[in-house]
This record gives sequence, C-alpha cells and structure tokens, in this order.
Amino acid sequence: MRQVAVSGLHKAFGAHPVLTGVDLEVPAGSLTAILGPSGSGKTTLLRLMAGFDRADAGTIRIGDVLVDGPDVHTPPERRRIGYVPQEGALFPHLTVEANVGFGLAARERRGAKVAHMLEAVGLGGFGKRYPHQLSGGQQQRVALARALAIEPAVVLLDEPFASLDAHLRASVRADVQDIFRRSGTTAVLVTHDQDEALSVADRVAALRDGKIAQCATPEDLYCRPADPELASFIGDANLLEGVLNGGVVKTLLGSLPLDAAATALAGAGQVTVLVRPEQIELEPSADGVPGRVTAFGYHGHDAVVHVRPDRDADGRTIMVRITGGPQLPVGAPVHLRARGPVFAWRRD
Amino acid sequence: MAAGTLADRRSEKAVPTRGRARRPVALLTISSLVAAILALPLVFLLIEAHGAGVSDVAHLIFRPLTRSLLWNTVRLTVVVTVACAVIGTAAAWCVERTDLPGRRVWAVLVVVPLAIPDFVVSFGWNSLWAWAHGFLGAFIVMTLAVYPLVYLPVAASLRGADPGQEEVARSLGSGRVRTFVRITLGQAKGAILGGCLLVALVLLAEYGAFEILGYQTFTTEIFSEFNGYSFAASCALSLVLVVLSLLILAGEGMLRGRGQVSRSGPMTQRVNPPQQLGWLRWPALALFAALALLALGVPIGAALYWMADGLPPALSGGANVSLADAGGHTALYGGSAAALATVMAFPVALLAIRHSGRMRRLLERSTYLVLGMPGVVIAFALSYFTERYLAGFGDGTTMLLIACYAIMFFPLALVGVKASLARAPAGLDEVARSLGKRRLAVLVRVTVRLAGPGLVAAFCLVFLSVITELTATLLLIPTGAQTLATQFWSYESNLSYSQAAPFALVMIIVAAVPSYILGRFFNRPAQARG
Repeated sequence: MRQVAVSGLHKAFGAHPVLTGVDLEVPAGSLTAILGPSGSGKTTLLRLMAGFDRADAGTIRIGDVLVDGPDVHTPPERRRIGYVPQEGALFPHLTVEANVGFGLAARERRGAKVAHMLEAVGLGGFGKRYPHQLSGGQQQRVALARALAIEPAVVLLDEPFASLDAHLRASVRADVQDIFRRSGTTAVLVTHDQDEALSVADRVAALRDGKIAQCATPEDLYCRPADPELASFIGDANLLEGVLNGGVVKTLLGSLPLDAAATALAGAGQVTVLVRPEQIELEPSADGVPGRVTAFGYHGHDAVVHVRPDRDADGRTIMVRITGGPQLPVGAPVHLRARGPVFAWRRD
Repeated sequence: MAAGTLADRRSEKAVPTRGRARRPVALLTISSLVAAILALPLVFLLIEAHGAGVSDVAHLIFRPLTRSLLWNTVRLTVVVTVACAVIGTAAAWCVERTDLPGRRVWAVLVVVPLAIPDFVVSFGWNSLWAWAHGFLGAFIVMTLAVYPLVYLPVAASLRGADPGQEEVARSLGSGRVRTFVRITLGQAKGAILGGCLLVALVLLAEYGAFEILGYQTFTTEIFSEFNGYSFAASCALSLVLVVLSLLILAGEGMLRGRGQVSRSGPMTQRVNPPQQLGWLRWPALALFAALALLALGVPIGAALYWMADGLPPALSGGANVSLADAGGHTALYGGSAAALATVMAFPVALLAIRHSGRMRRLLERSTYLVLGMPGVVIAFALSYFTERYLAGFGDGTTMLLIACYAIMFFPLALVGVKASLARAPAGLDEVARSLGKRRLAVLVRVTVRLAGPGLVAAFCLVFLSVITELTATLLLIPTGAQTLATQFWSYESNLSYSQAAPFALVMIIVAAVPSYILGRFFNRPAQARG
C-alpha cells in the first residue's frame, strides 16, 4: 500500500525549472530517501509535499487524499505531516516538553503522551530543559518526537543529520532508523549523502535533472543502477567496455558472469559494464591482469588503489578497494582479478 | 499528468509565483493602508501648494531669502556630517577593535549624548558662553549632539564583520594602515553612509537648537513663517526642504551601491585579539575624555549650574506641579505614539522580511517618503490641512499630535520591528504549521513571542524620540497642555534658565532608560536559531 504518491510534479522558480516531472510512490511504513546532489531540487520536492510551496503542475496524494493538484492546495496544517528541518528548528522560547506538545490539543499536552514520546526517543526526563541546553543530536531527537507526537501520515526529514558531527551522525542515524521501525511511521528523508541514503532507507529515490532517475531498494540501486551516470553517482564505479555473449561478458578484466537482473540484455553485443571497486582483488600471484599502481588513497579501514592495466591502450585506471594489506608505492606492479556477477547496459 | 494540462496551468500564470504557496493578501492590504497614511503629509503639502497658487509659490521659492537659507543649511549639513563621520568612525574603531583602556565604559559614555535633546545641548553651551552661537555654535553643538548616530551603526558593523578578512589582508602583505583603509573601512562603509544619512536628515529637521543659537535654516524659517500665518511661504519653503531631503536620500542610495557581501562561511562569532595601540593609547584616552566632557559634561553641567543658581524658585510649589504635569503628558504622548508606530510597522516589517515581490519593495520604499519629510513639514502639513479642509476636526487635538509622532518616527519603529522579526525565522513558522496550527495561531504562539523583546525595543526607540521632540510638539500640542520639552522651551525662551534646568535634567534621565534597554537589545547576539 502506498502512503504518498507524487505524479508529474513540476516546479520552477522564475525562469529556472527545478522539478520537471517527478513521479514517486512511497510505500506505507517505509523509510524512503530522496538522494540528489546539491541544487537538484530535493528540498523543493520535500517542501511541496509539506505544502509550504505550491507545485506549478502535477499532483501529490497523501494517503488517498489529493493535497496538491489543479485547483487543490491543502495548507500544511491540514496535511498531517511531521516536518523535521535541517537543524531541528526547535522553538527557542519553549521547553522540550512544550516543543513536543506544540501540535497537540491542550488536553493531550498535559497528559502522558509528551513524556511517552520523549521516552521513545530516549530523552525521558529532559522535558523541563530548553533547546539551547541540549546537544545537537538531542535537539534532533526532540524535533523528531515533536513531529511524531501528532501521529502524522508521513514524516518529512530535510537533511536531518547534516548538521551533526561525524561521530554523532552514525549513532543518531541508527536511533532514528530504530524509532521509525518500531513506530511503523512512513517517512521521507532528503539527503545528498549516498552512504546515509543506502544505510538508513528501505528505498532510495535518486533525483537527477528534476526527475526521479531511479527508485529502488539500496541494494538494487547500488548493484543495478538504471544507467552508467547513476552508477558513478551512487558510489565509486569502474565503467568498462565489454562484449556480451550469452550470460558472460568479456572485459579488460577477463570474462565475468552477468547479473541475473540484467538478462534483459540477452543475446550478444557491445555493452558498458559496471565493476565496483570492491569486486576487484589484488592478486599476489601472477595469474591476474597485470598493471601498475598510479595512486593510493588510504582510509584506515580500507584503501582505494588506482591501477593502470599494462595492456590497456587508453591509459585508463581501475579503482580497487582493499581491506588491510600494506601500503603500495606508486609504480608498484600488481595483478587484478574481478569477481562477478556484474551489471551491464547495452551501448548504442 | 498529461502535457496538455501542464500547458494549461502554465498559461494561467504568466508570471510564475515565487516561493510562497499564496499571496499574502491580508498582509498586503494592511501594509498598503499603512503606506497610504505615511504618504498623507506629502499629499497634503502638495494640495496646499496647489491651493496657494502655483505662481505665488514659485515666486516665494525664487527669492534671495531662499538662497541664503540654502547656503546656511547646506554648509552646516556638510561640515557637521563630515565631522560626525570622522569622530563616530574613529571612536567605534577604538572601542571595538583596539586595546583602549576602559573600552566597556567608553562604549556607554560615547552613546549617552544621543539621549540628550539637541536643544538642551545648545542651551548648555549658549547659556554658559555667549560666543557659542551662529555657524560656529551650531557646528560644535550639532556635532557633539548627533555623532552617536554614526558611532552606533559603525560599531555594530565592526562587531559583526568577519575579523578573518583583516588577517587575510595582513597575511597577503598589506600593512596596518592599508588594511584599515581597504578592509576595515570597506566593511564599515555601508554603516558609515547610513549614519551620515541620519545625521544629514537630523540637521535638515532641527529647529530648537538653531533657534537658541540664532542660526537660520529652512526649518527655523518655516516655523516662524507658519507661526506668523504666512502659509504660502511655509508651503514653498517646505517643498524646497523636502526636495533637499530626497536628494540626500537618493545620493546615499547611489553611493552605497549594490552587492554588499560582508561575510562568507558559517555565522560563528570569533573573538579577535584587539589591535595594540602602544603609546597612542594616551592621546586616544585624552580625546575620549575630551569628547565625554564636551558632549556630556557641558549640557549636564550647565543644567546643574543653573538649577543650583536659582534653587529657591525651582523648588517652589508651582514649578514642581508643572514638572509632574508635563512629565505626565510626555509619557502619555510618547507611549501612545510608540504603540501606534509599532503596530503600524509590524505588518510592513513582516512583509519585508518574509515575502518578496514588487509590491513589497514599493511598500518598503514608502517609508523613505517619511524619512525625507522633516518633522516641521509633517506637522505643518497635517495641522494646516485639517484646519483648512477638515474644519476644526484635528486642530490642536491630542489625536493629531500622536498621529504626527507615529508618522514621523515610523521608520525607527520599522527598523526595530524588522530586527526583531529576523530573530523569528520563517522555518519555525513552517514547522508550527506542519504541526497542524493555523496561520493566526502560529503568529501569536511563535512569531510574536519570539519577536517580543524586539517589539519592546521598537517601542522604546519611538518613545525616546517623542520625549526629546520639540518642533512638531510646539506646532501641534493641544492648547493648555505642556510636555517636558515645551515647558523647558517656554522657560528657556523667557531666559528663566534656573526654571528650565530641572526639565532638561528630567528629560535626560527619562530618555536614558529606554536608551539603556535599546543598547542591551541591539548588542545582544541573535540566538533564536533552534
């Protein structure tokens, strides 16, 4: 069952088009991430869903109700949406309790509900404090409790973790994911961070050129992206030329089995092949593809090695992700071996 | 959605609406009403000029008197504005950016002269020293009375400007002086110009101080022509004065230019180590002491001197009753006008901060019309018009005086309200609405609550100005009523200095309280960030 349905949404600011036909379905109870680079219109899309702005064309449904369409524009206060902006935006003049109870009727505000919501986000006993007495992560969780308190049809989160420190981000992210799982609330989260989108969401919608380029599970989006450009946006990608023959594709790195989902390509022909850096290993023995290291990027938990294969005439480099192992000097000889299955697109 | 429907909706709106979900119709209507009220004095003035006969008015404008008034007004305005710019900027830089000893104390002392009415300063100088009159007297008195108008914005902009820019300039090989001229002055340029604009407008509008010092400008002449019932002449001179003010406003706008980016990166305030003055600190200290002595010591000292001189009459029953009575009227007028101006400013400020569009800019500009109308012209236009065309309705009534104050000081209220609304970001309103609250509820529960302290500041700003207002008050005050300013004025005019002095002191003390609250408000860092 879908909870939010966006169809053919257009929005321009002056002469500058931002959204040019967005179609998106958000299943009930899911956490969907809208992923896009800065300026791709992610926040605009979220604000249209919330009702702060009005679309130029297209429709938005929340539940079964049309909230934005020709001659229809439901104001935000009647959409039952929980909105969590980038920095939480707690009301600075109200206590944590009053913030959480803001959207409730006066009777409910005095009841146990507020305390219950604070317990749910792990901030029981913080009710009497003021926002400036809380850390960034705590403020963010209060903002979430405030949004959830009104039992919204959908919670909209605008880059909710962007303002947090790196070490805090992972834990708050996990907490938020857990809170949504337990409450079963539908949520839409906007982010430019692909790690965040892939790790938190059930479904990820990639926004590009004002349209949804692909909406899929994190695994599908990463392993089976709709096109090569999207593959490069979602993580590091080696895009190689290949020749397809049956279920096997022949590349610079040898013959690799084709992903089952790419069998639509059945037959033979020229293809572009996606090989993720972690699908390639450095072989100690000499039975892989020989090449030389051109750069070594050390990240602690892993390292990305750029290798130029000896027999590649174009002089392109291949990215390889290794865990552990010694640092390799530039120019060191190595051997590459790729593992399938790999994904591919037909080349025109 | 089908492409056809899209085309239909596009053609419906030739101009795509920007930003908001709908046009703020109610807000636009109320703001337009406010703008119409603000435009009344100018409209009245033009109607009156027309009524007086265009050729008569033209004849009155092109006579030798106008030329001599123009010369007097312009040369004093130029000289005082330059002096204020130098003193205000130098003082602000010393207080904000150097290790001048006692900076916190000086920061207060250099602003206090603003709370002393200009006519009290001129009374102080003129009553003590006979040579303090004419051009020289006007130059000294006005410079000392109004330089804080430059100091305040410049100090604020230096405090808010990114000190990192100075460091970068130094790291790129630019010396101290060069850095000061190119970076520091550049950062403060807008504030200096803004301050100079205020100084110039005050000089054009000043009446009391020049009357005491015997210096004739457009304003003093309009005043005496009006009191002598030469309405056509006041009308003609008013037109010239308004044109002069509008020219200054336009000039400031042109000098200011476009594209003022004062800061990049996050808005975190970093404290920079102050510049070492070295041996220069002693001359700097001496100059600050001299400034405080001349700007504060002389007027307060003079008031105390004359009060001590005539102690028995000042304490006699009659004077004391009149002090309480005048204070009561001042508080009543000031409070009502401040409340009215703040209420009028709220919708316009909300529109200016939260919405964009052509109407909004037009409405904001309408406040410039008021800035360009000296108080004497507003008072004259309102009083003469109501007397002549709305026979008897507004003449000498409290309502008319309060309306005049509210129009005169509307720009001040707008500045205060805008600053306060900036503390209530639109994001909070959106969150509140997403939580199911209607617009009006959000306005009451979030916007007004957050803007509250700033609204008090706007109120104080207007209240303070009304206490020390003399020109319009003298023209419009209801028969029989007296304020602190008018009572001081009548004693001063009769040379009863010892009786005038207590009124001067009470005005200074009463004005100091709102000044203090204002200083607290504008010095506080914005903290409504959620």
